[in-house]
Amino acid sequence: MYAFEYHRPSSIKEAASLARKLADAKLIAGGQSMVPALKLRLARPTAMIDLNDLPELRGISVVGTNVVIGALTRHAEVAASKDVLMTLPVLAKVAAGIGDHQVRNMGTLGGAIANNDPAADYPAALLGLGATVTTNKRDIPADKFFTGMYETALKPGEIIASVSFPMAKRAAYIKFRNPASRFALVGVFVSETAGNVRVAVTGAAPCVFRVKNMEKALASKFAPEAIARIRVPADNLNSDLHAGAEYRSHLITVLAQRAVEAALSGK
Amino acid sequence: MNAPVIGTRVERKEDYRFLTGSGTYTDDVALPGQTCAYFLRSQHAHAKINRIDISKAKTAPGVIEVFTGADLPGSVGGLPCGWLITDVNGQPMKEPKHPLLAQGKVRYVGDHVAVVIAETLNQAKDACELIEVDYEVLPAVVNVADARKPGAAQVHDIAPDNTCYVWALGDKTAVDKAFAQAAHVTKLDFINNRLIPNAIEPRAAVASYSRGDDSYTLYVTSQNPHVARLLMTAFVLGLPEHKLRVIAPDVGGGFGSKIFLYAEETVLTWASKQVNRPIKWTAERSESFVSDAHGRDHLTSAELALDKNGGFLALRVHTTANMGAYLSTFASCIPTILYATLLAGQYTTPAIYCEVTAVFTNTAPVDAYRGAGRPEASYVIERLVSTAAREMKIPDADIRRRNFIKEFPYQTPVALCYDTGDYEATLTEALKLADVAGFEARRKEAAARGKLRGLGYSAYIEACGLAPSNVAGSLGARAGLFEAGEVRVHPTGKVTVFTGSHSHGQGHETTFAQVVADRLGLGVDDVDIVHGDTGRILFGMGTYGSRSIAVGGTAIVKALDKIVAKGKRIAAHLLEAPDADIEFKDGKFTVAGTDRQVPFAQVALSAYVPHHYPLDKLEPGLNESAVYDPTNFTFPAGSHICEVEVDPDTGATKIVNFTAVDDFGKTINPMIVEGQVHGGLAQGIGQALLEACVYDRETGQLLTGTYLDYAVPRADDLPSFKVTTRETPCTHNPLGVKGCGEAGAIGAPAAVINAIVDALAHLGIRDIEMPATPQRVWQALQSAKKERIAT
Amino acid sequence: MEMSGEQTILRPQAVTWSSITDPRVLKACIPGCESMDKVGDNEYELVMGAKVGPVSAKFKGKITLADVDAPHAYTLIFEGQGGVAGFAKGQANVRLLPDGETTRLQYTAKAMIGGKLAQVGSRLVDGVARKMAESFFSAFNEHVSGVKGEG
Repeated sequence: MYAFEYHRPSSIKEAASLARKLADAKLIAGGQSMVPALKLRLARPTAMIDLNDLPELRGISVVGTNVVIGALTRHAEVAASKDVLMTLPVLAKVAAGIGDHQVRNMGTLGGAIANNDPAADYPAALLGLGATVTTNKRDIPADKFFTGMYETALKPGEIIASVSFPMAKRAAYIKFRNPASRFALVGVFVSETAGNVRVAVTGAAPCVFRVKNMEKALASKFAPEAIARIRVPADNLNSDLHAGAEYRSHLITVLAQRAVEAALSGK
Repeated sequence: MNAPVIGTRVERKEDYRFLTGSGTYTDDVALPGQTCAYFLRSQHAHAKINRIDISKAKTAPGVIEVFTGADLPGSVGGLPCGWLITDVNGQPMKEPKHPLLAQGKVRYVGDHVAVVIAETLNQAKDACELIEVDYEVLPAVVNVADARKPGAAQVHDIAPDNTCYVWALGDKTAVDKAFAQAAHVTKLDFINNRLIPNAIEPRAAVASYSRGDDSYTLYVTSQNPHVARLLMTAFVLGLPEHKLRVIAPDVGGGFGSKIFLYAEETVLTWASKQVNRPIKWTAERSESFVSDAHGRDHLTSAELALDKNGGFLALRVHTTANMGAYLSTFASCIPTILYATLLAGQYTTPAIYCEVTAVFTNTAPVDAYRGAGRPEASYVIERLVSTAAREMKIPDADIRRRNFIKEFPYQTPVALCYDTGDYEATLTEALKLADVAGFEARRKEAAARGKLRGLGYSAYIEACGLAPSNVAGSLGARAGLFEAGEVRVHPTGKVTVFTGSHSHGQGHETTFAQVVADRLGLGVDDVDIVHGDTGRILFGMGTYGSRSIAVGGTAIVKALDKIVAKGKRIAAHLLEAPDADIEFKDGKFTVAGTDRQVPFAQVALSAYVPHHYPLDKLEPGLNESAVYDPTNFTFPAGSHICEVEVDPDTGATKIVNFTAVDDFGKTINPMIVEGQVHGGLAQGIGQALLEACVYDRETGQLLTGTYLDYAVPRADDLPSFKVTTRETPCTHNPLGVKGCGEAGAIGAPAAVINAIVDALAHLGIRDIEMPATPQRVWQALQSAKKERIAT
Repeated sequence: MEMSGEQTILRPQAVTWSSITDPRVLKACIPGCESMDKVGDNEYELVMGAKVGPVSAKFKGKITLADVDAPHAYTLIFEGQGGVAGFAKGQANVRLLPDGETTRLQYTAKAMIGGKLAQVGSRLVDGVARKMAESFFSAFNEHVSGVKGEG
C-alpha cells in the first residue's frame, strides 16, 4: 500500500467539500474493492475520505410504497432487515448472496453501486426495480445512474445518500455464479411493479442493462414461456476465461425464465 | 488391560493449538533486528535482460541491500534436481542451470530477478519499484502442445526442441503385437490440466546468521527440512551442512509445493550473512500463484487393446509433460517413475508401453502436487476402461472385475510388484454404499426434472511409502528415501518422539502418538511428537507421497522395539530374572508365567537413576533411534463412485453422491484417515470440475492469478462424502499400513468425468476435458446437438 | 481478442488523414493522455493514466505510427510500462475510406496486458480494451467533425 492522507469527515457536507478540494481523493465506505486494489498497489490515491462516521447515511426505512436504504448500510444488514424481508424480500436475497460473510459485513450499498462492477448484484436490483439514487445533490433514476463499465452518473464531490426501491408485486433475482470468484457470470433480475415489468442483467456485459423485448413480452404475459425464444445478441456481451459471449447470451434467456418462474412462485 | 489406541478416533492433539491461534508459523517468527525482503519478479514470460540498474533502489529509504544475479559469487550453484532421468538414447536428461536470481534471461512470469532487503516491507516494495530492468522481450513458448513445434521459442540453449528427455518404460514389441491381435481398441486423448497448489499458508522464510560461530538458522515452510538443508548447503551455497539449522515449524499445508528447494529461502540464507541481520520473506498470495511449483500439465494419447470379452491385452500411452521453465527438485521423476509405473492400475494388463517426453516452456516450474504422477496415471487408465466398457456394452463393474488382479504378490509389466490387495472387496463395498442398484430409478427421477444423471467409476491404485532407496537409486534418485525416528523416554516414563516425517496438516502429532502409546501402554497425552527441525532430529526425508506412517511410522516402531528390548534387560535386572524370561505387555514388564512385574515408568526411572542397575552390561538412559528403509512401496487402492446431475440448460454439474471405499491397510486413526480422504477428494473433484491454471498461450501471462479466476473447491461445491475403508494389511511393514494422504486426489478425477460422460453419453458425447466447467459441458451439448441435426 | 469498429467522419479523407496523424489531435483524443512528445519520425513518448474501477495506473510508453500509407491507412502501436501494475500493449489498424465529403474510418484493434494487471484483471481486459478504442475513436470523431461521434 502506498501512503495516503486519511480523512474521516463527520458530515456529508464536509465529506463533499473534501472530495471537491482534494484532487485524486477516493471515497471509501466498506472498502471491499478499494482495499484489495490498494494492497496490490494498483491504486495510488493521494487521500482517502472515509465515510464511516456519517450516521445519516445508515439505516433502512419504509416510506409509502418504497424501501429507502442508506448508502452506508451493509449488505448483511439489508439481508437481515425485517423491513426489507417484509416489504421487498427479493432485495434481502440479493444482499444475502453478495460475496462472502466478510464482504457482506463490510460492503455497503452505496459503495457497491458507486463502484458499478460489471458483475455486481446491486446494480441489477436497482435497474430491475427502477430504483432511485439520492445523492447530496439530486435524485438520479437507476436508468440514468449506471453509465458504463465501472462508470456512473456521479459527479466529483457527489456522494450517494440513499437508494429508494419501489416495492414489487413480484420479483426475483437468479445468479449463475462464476465458479471461481462467485460473482455473477450472469445475473438476471425480473420484477413486476405497479403495471411495470423490468428485466435487468448483470455480469453479461460491461455494464448492467435492461432487456426491453423481454419486458414487453412479460408485460403481456408474465410467464417463462413468453421469453423462451428471446435472445440477447452475443455481439456486445463479455467474453472471458469462464464464459464466452455466446454462452452468456444463452444463460440470459435461461436465467430470465427461471427468474420469472421464481417470481411467480414467490420463492 | 489398556483400551486399544490404534484404530480409534483420537481427537487431534494439534487442533487446540491451531484452533486457538496458538500455532507458530514461519511468519510468526520475529528475530531481533529482523529485516524484510521483497523479490522483484519478471513481468515477462521470456526476455533477455540487457541491464539492471539498482542504484536508485540502493539509496532508497530503509534499504539495506539490493542483490541481483550478478552479486551472487561464482561458487553459488543453481537449484538442483533430485532425480536423474536417462533418455531413451542413454543420455542424461537436460539440466539447465536454475539460477537463484536471473542471470541474463528471465524464463517465466514470476521468475526472480532481484531481492531488496530493507527495514520494513513497504520500504522494500518501494525500492523494488525503483529497480530499472531493460528487458528485450522474446517470443515465449507456453503450451505443452507447442513446445516441440518447429519454430517454437527455445527456453534453454542446452535443450534443443525444448526437450528435457524422452523416456520409455515397458515392452513396445509385445504391446504392438497385442494391438495387432486386439478385438477392440479404445483410444482417447487427454489433457491433464495444470493446477496451482494453493496451500493455505503461503511460502515463507526467516534466515539468520551468527557471526560468533559462523552458523545459519533458517525457518522455512518446508515439508522436509533435512532435504532442504542438504540441498542448500551441499549443492547450492557450498556451506558446511552442520553450520545450517533448518526449522520448519507449524506449516499450513503443502500438497507437495513445499517439498522443493526454492530460490527465495536459499537467497535469504546466503544474504543473511551479507547483511549480518535476520531477513524475513513471506509470499503474498499473488506471488504464490506465480512462483509455487505447479502440478500436472500432461498431454496424453492413450490406447487400450481388448479381446472380444473385454479382457485387457495391452496399453499404449504417449505423454508429453510440462516441466515449466526449469527443473524443480523432483520434477523429472513425476511423469516417469511416479506415473508410468502405475499404468497397470488394478488390472492384469499383460503388456504396457509408455513413452514420456518432458518439455520446457516459459511457465512456472511444474513438480509434485498431491498424488504426483499417480492421479495422471489413474485418470488415463480409468477413463480408458470406462470408455471401453461403454463401447463394448459391458457394465462398468463387470469389465473391472474381469480384469482385476486377484493373486498377490503380483508383478506388473511396469516394474512394480504389488504385495497385497483385494480390489473386488473395495468395488463390491462401493457398489453397495453408492446404492448403484437404485441408480436407474434415480436417473429416471432426475430426467423427469429435466436433469441428466450419470454414474462414474474409478478403481485406482497408488504406490506410496516412498521408497526402497536402492530401487529409487537404480531409477535415478539422487537421495535415499528412508526415514529416521528417535524415541526418548524421560525419567518419569513420558516420551518424546523425534521424527523425520513432517506434519503440515496430516495430524502426525496424534497418529504417531497413538502408535507409541499403543506399543508402550501409555496414554496418548504421555507422548509428544517433535518434527521439522534439523537441530533436534537425527535426519529425515520428510513428508510426501503418503509415506509418513508407512516409512516414518515404521522407523518409530523400530526404535520402540529397541526401547522395549533395552527395557526388558533393565527389568530383568530389577526382577532378578533372566533377560529371556521378560515379557512386555500393556505397559508392564513381567517375568513370564509369574505375577512379578515392573511398570514401564519404573524401568525408565531406573535407567536414569541407575542406583540398582546392570551398569556392567547396559548404559544408563532410555533413548533409541532407528532408520528404516522399506523393502517395497505400499499399494493403497480403492474404488470411487461418483454420481452427478447435469443441468443441460446451463451445463452446470452437481455432484450428488460421492462414495470412496479405500484400502489403506491398517488404519491408526479412522477420523484422521477420513479427513485425509475428504481433503483429497475435494482436490480431486477440484481438478475435475473447477481448477485450471491458464497461461495466455502466446504471451505466457498467467491469466488465473487470483481467486477471481482460479477456482478452488468450496464446501458447497462438494457433497457429503460416503467414505469407508477395507483393510488388507501391508505385508512388509510392522504396522501393516499403506498411507492415505493422496488417494482422494488420485481416484476422484476419473470418477467425476466418467460420471459426467455417463450422463451425456446418450447424446453421443464420449469425453469432456477437465475441468468440466459449465461452459465446457454446455458447449459439448451444443456440438452434440449440431452433430445430430447434421446427421 | 480483436475488436473492430467504424466511425463516419464528417470531413474529407485528406483532412481526416492530417488530423489522425497530428500528435496534438492524438494527444487530445487518447483517453487519459497526460503528455506526448515527439522523439522520432512517427514516434512519440507518452504518459497516460488509466483507470478501471478502483484500479488506476500510470503508463509511460511510446506511440508509433507504422505501415503508413497516406492518406489511406496506418497502424497505431502503443507500448507502455505501468511500473508495479505491469505493462500494456495495444495496436490499432486504421483505414480511411473516402465517401464523398465524408470519410469512413474503420479500425481493428487488439490489446495485451502483462504483469500484475494480467494476473488480477483477465476478466476485464477485453471490455477495457474495447472501451479505450471506442473512446479514442469517438473522441477523434468529435474533435474532427465537431460533433459527437457515432460508432
